[in-house]
Amino acid sequence: MHKEGVKNFPYYVGVKSLKDIATKDDTVCVLNITGNESRTVTPTSHEFSGGNIVFGTSPGRSGQSLSTKLGKIPVYNSIKEGMAAGHKFTTAVIYLPPSGVKDGVAEAVKHNPELKKVIILTEKVSISDSRTIRAICQTNGVDVFGANCLGVADAWNKVRIGGALGGSKPEESLVKGTVALFSNSGNFTTTIAVYLLTEGWGTTTSVSSGKDVYIHYGSREFLSALDKDNRSECSVMYVEPGGYYERDLTINKPMVACVVGRWKAKLTKACGHAGSLAGSGDDAKAKEKWFMDYFGVKSIYTPEKPVFSKKGAVVTNISHIPEALTRVMALNKKKPDFKPMGDLSLKCWFASNAGVKLPKALDVKTVTAVSPYGEQIELVEKQIGAQFPRQTLKDASGVSMMDPKTQVSKIHGLSILDASKRSLEENLVLSLIGSYPNAYGKKLANIALNAGVNLEGSAELIVADASRAAENSPNTVLSGAVSVVGKGMVKGALKASEILFKAFETSGLKSPEDKADIAKLVKTLTKADIKALSAKKDDDLAVAIFKKATSVKGCSVFLDFIDKATGGNPSTDAVISAIWTTLGWEALIGNQISQITINSLPWYSRIFSTFVGASVDSKNHEGGAFFGVTTEKLLGWSFTETSFLALLGRRPSKDELFEFSMLLGLIITNGPGTISAQGSKGGVSADGPEVPSRVQINKAFIGFLTHTGFAHGGNGYEAIAFLIERFKKSGLKDPSKKSSAQDLEKIALTYAKEYKAYKVSQKAEGNLNYAKVPCINHPIFKGLPVNFDPREQFVRELFDNKKIYNVFLDFYGKLVNALYKTKVSSNVYCVNVDAVIAVILLKMVWAPFINGEIGDKEVESAAFTTFLFGRMIGCAAEIDDHINRGKNMDTRSPASVCTYVK
Amino acid sequence: MQLTGLLWGQKLLKKVGYPVADVLGPEATVDEIKALIKKAGQVFIKPVFKGGVGKKGKSGLIGRASDITTALKEKERLYFAEHVFGNITSKADGVTFEGGVPAEHEVYFSLSESTVFRAPTMTITHHGGVDIEELPPEKIKEVPFDPLTGLKSFHVSNALEELGAPSELISPLVQNLPKLWTLYNNYGMNMLELNPIRMYKNKKGRLMPIACDFKGSFDQDDPAWERLDMPAHLFASDYSEFEQEINQLRTYQGQSDVFVMNEKGTITVPTFGGGANALVTELLGERATISSDFGGNPPYAKMHDISRIVFKYWLEQSNVLFIIGGKANNTDIYETFRAMADALRDHFRTHGPTPLFVVVGRGGPNLIRGMSYMKETLEQLKLPFRIFGHDSAMSEVVNYALAVDKWMAKEGTKQVAKNLGI
Repeated sequence: MHKEGVKNFPYYVGVKSLKDIATKDDTVCVLNITGNESRTVTPTSHEFSGGNIVFGTSPGRSGQSLSTKLGKIPVYNSIKEGMAAGHKFTTAVIYLPPSGVKDGVAEAVKHNPELKKVIILTEKVSISDSRTIRAICQTNGVDVFGANCLGVADAWNKVRIGGALGGSKPEESLVKGTVALFSNSGNFTTTIAVYLLTEGWGTTTSVSSGKDVYIHYGSREFLSALDKDNRSECSVMYVEPGGYYERDLTINKPMVACVVGRWKAKLTKACGHAGSLAGSGDDAKAKEKWFMDYFGVKSIYTPEKPVFSKKGAVVTNISHIPEALTRVMALNKKKPDFKPMGDLSLKCWFASNAGVKLPKALDVKTVTAVSPYGEQIELVEKQIGAQFPRQTLKDASGVSMMDPKTQVSKIHGLSILDASKRSLEENLVLSLIGSYPNAYGKKLANIALNAGVNLEGSAELIVADASRAAENSPNTVLSGAVSVVGKGMVKGALKASEILFKAFETSGLKSPEDKADIAKLVKTLTKADIKALSAKKDDDLAVAIFKKATSVKGCSVFLDFIDKATGGNPSTDAVISAIWTTLGWEALIGNQISQITINSLPWYSRIFSTFVGASVDSKNHEGGAFFGVTTEKLLGWSFTETSFLALLGRRPSKDELFEFSMLLGLIITNGPGTISAQGSKGGVSADGPEVPSRVQINKAFIGFLTHTGFAHGGNGYEAIAFLIERFKKSGLKDPSKKSSAQDLEKIALTYAKEYKAYKVSQKAEGNLNYAKVPCINHPIFKGLPVNFDPREQFVRELFDNKKIYNVFLDFYGKLVNALYKTKVSSNVYCVNVDAVIAVILLKMVWAPFINGEIGDKEVESAAFTTFLFGRMIGCAAEIDDHINRGKNMDTRSPASVCTYVK
Repeated sequence: MQLTGLLWGQKLLKKVGYPVADVLGPEATVDEIKALIKKAGQVFIKPVFKGGVGKKGKSGLIGRASDITTALKEKERLYFAEHVFGNITSKADGVTFEGGVPAEHEVYFSLSESTVFRAPTMTITHHGGVDIEELPPEKIKEVPFDPLTGLKSFHVSNALEELGAPSELISPLVQNLPKLWTLYNNYGMNMLELNPIRMYKNKKGRLMPIACDFKGSFDQDDPAWERLDMPAHLFASDYSEFEQEINQLRTYQGQSDVFVMNEKGTITVPTFGGGANALVTELLGERATISSDFGGNPPYAKMHDISRIVFKYWLEQSNVLFIIGGKANNTDIYETFRAMADALRDHFRTHGPTPLFVVVGRGGPNLIRGMSYMKETLEQLKLPFRIFGHDSAMSEVVNYALAVDKWMAKEGTKQVAKNLGI
């Protein structure tokens, strides 16, 4: 049963003429108006159409509105509520997710007796819902367009309803003319309209039909309405394989039909367009034949072999449509609507041969892009640095993630296992720049970082000492020191960075190692700039670091620049800034980092140095030396070595350096959800990253530090204490010698037996919270006869390859086997990655510990501080990321998800 | 998502109480097969294919046995049989033993969506047991019906009467066939075919319409089929490892339909839009590794994931990375290009550089920002490239990519590799 509509159809069709499909009289209600797609598309449609949307719905959002240049569109919970508020509409546009589409259509039909049209944008609506939608609308006399379409538009009426035909600038594509458009592809509806302009053809009504199995407004309805539209003199129809919509058509006006998809006959699966999968009788070849028969032509039209008649032509390539149409219409004695606009020749907007010699035919040169794109290219080429869209970053990050399957975290797309093969200074650069420095950059980074470690006589050190004396934990001590490193402490360096950026912003410099006309660039500086870059009399450090930086192999245009600008007398701030600008420039030019980041790098640098410097008490900052190493000497050290020195008071051996770097690398991040990352993100969020200059970077680091503690960061000591208990009386002198390992199995088995007895007794007492063996077993890596944590395996293999032995790691391996043998565990547990961290650290401190030079507390403090050094890398990345991408106060939890407990 | 054969078909038909031939699966014991032969007089041995495989009879892939020795021989012959239909080669994994159903009449019945009537439609004939395409139109009846009320008894009786079917067939079919609408409508099917239905005379002398084969297909976009609790592997063979991995990302927001075109292709082409997909598929043919449609404004994270998987599987063998689409209406070019460029950078970082020529053709919102990001990334990766505006004919851009592919195969790849230090 269906309502009576246009005669001669066996089903209901309401629209009589194409000119009635999208008119100024259509009033529209958009369902799910606040959804992602609608939010961007609907305002443009509304503005282009002169304000045809009367209201939208979004359950639970009644009272909100969608802003447009023509005013706000009100939002209601339901159609019923919107209509009760006095709104009337004729057309429903559906942006609901697939499972809600049928209900949305039913709602519109039930509550609005005036409803004439429904336009469904949603993709992947099920076939069963489609047939029900059709039945509902047929019974109630409603035309349906779509689904999976981009709606309808009319260039004469300047109206588009539904989706984004013509994109964000519909007036560019929807130019008034005499061609009616019908297309199975939404994108091609616009693309064909643009192509037609190149032959001087404009459009009347454009229908994006969608290409689901059910095409509710099909080619038959379109052609009937075309006949009654006196504005449309001809049409273009774009069709794909699948379905019999185009069989037995009556075509009365000239047409170019574009049938694509011959090759698709070889495929067995639909791609994108659910209905474009053909059987034997409705494939592209069959459809080509139907149209050739309509037009009385024997073959396909191509520019080389133009076959066409007064009735039309069949093409298989959309770029042949305009030319074919012009020729068909010439036979009908009709000229194009206006002068051609543009052409379809190859226009290359960006090109690079990357040093490869291309044959002439392929070496297509760039041309100036058509307006407004040409102007935009010019502007973009002037802009440097990335601009990230802002979003809520509460539990999200643009720099880190943890793979829930492998439990291996990544920073800047790089696994921490790979990062752990790099040094601390390399990873610090990675955290902010997103890539590793080359050998030259690495040396420069060491100079900048080591330059700020000696804090002799500084407020940072005084605060840190006072905090240490009050028996605070290492994170609390460092929080105090870092709180001193506010913006005022680094304003000279930030200013220097800004001067460098401005001087080179428009220079076209790609790499800091490229040549530049420095003399010319220096001339752009003001006197105040030069003064800001020049060293004051008491700036002793400046000479040392500049000398060191210019003596290492490599070259930096920025160091040359400050040299020239200051007459060979750059300040410490200028040198530090020049180093960090050198490190970040390529990433800036490549839009990997923003201007915000490159200008803040000296601040981060100072904080990194303070972390290491302030972890050591003032007695080791005396006489211009750090642990007895003069700053001049220290500039030649790697920052990893300096950090080791800060923890253990000595320079590490080669193997120790490798192990220590690895240790720090493994700690870098556990993704944005980890407490320390959340702390740093909260610090940024509360300052309001939408005004980046207001964010106190040092305070964000304090956020990280205050979100570590004895349970997070300090818990590594648990395993160390466990191992000390097992080995302190074993006579072990050197944990790196395998000969020390002779009794390992015995120690492990003895302990396993003891532990079993303990476990049994505790269970008998009803205590289920008995002490667990630290750092074994894992919620993911379990259940096999023998289990492994892949991260621990990775480290073990690396150590084996480098012939580095660690008795404690060896012991852990034997321990999990002993626990299985004694039936404490039902299978061989894995040794997890936390054990790796503990065993590396304990190995480093074992000698001083066993010799009585340091006690339990110092070992615990060293373990905790090591964690802070490693996690500083990851948190620096989170802080910078949140400043660049986050929103003000985006880490808050809405009250609705909070609970009150008693 | 198709199912053929009675191994699983009988389970579906039993859900709605439709009579079906006795069926034993590949695990059937000798005694069970013997018992079935004794009961039914003969058994048909049919290979079990996953997915949709038709016309097995014509390919000689149906065995018939009335003794256990022949039955086991046929089992051996057909257990891993191969079936070639068009471009598709399928391999069997098991057989079924289906009890013979003696009958005088064979009926063809199907339910499907008709694009002619734009409604669910029953197709029926009492001249079943043959390919429906081979019958003249007057021997077949197609009956569209209202999906809100479903297939009714009168649809069946009217159709059979109009076909002039023997009157003894009408009552049993009228009683049983409407049950199939319940199966079709409730479990997300878009095609159900029983051919043949054999009209078996039971002990009381009444005819029963026994389903002796089953073919069905399910709508991928309708989760109703999941209610059937069919094992996921039944449909898994439809897809390669790559397709399975990438199609996990398939949602309505940001299409991500991807299929393998040619495992030995040399142009990897992320395509935006169903129309572009049709055009590009057509022009590239077997030179393309995959056929894809990434339109629908996919968000950054999804586009990055898609690209990561595509690059992992296809980049190494490719001469050309070809990113193509028309002038996007709503897809944000900056977001999608940024995601692809970042994924390419990550790929180079984790897998090492690979010699490629990148060709891009695209239009849409935030176009220049997107193209500019892509350009900077490609320059940093030291890859040659050409980026074309949307005012270049898409087919010309495709032709350019094809020409580049040829040149890369001949000498370009070596040159690019040398420049990359590989």
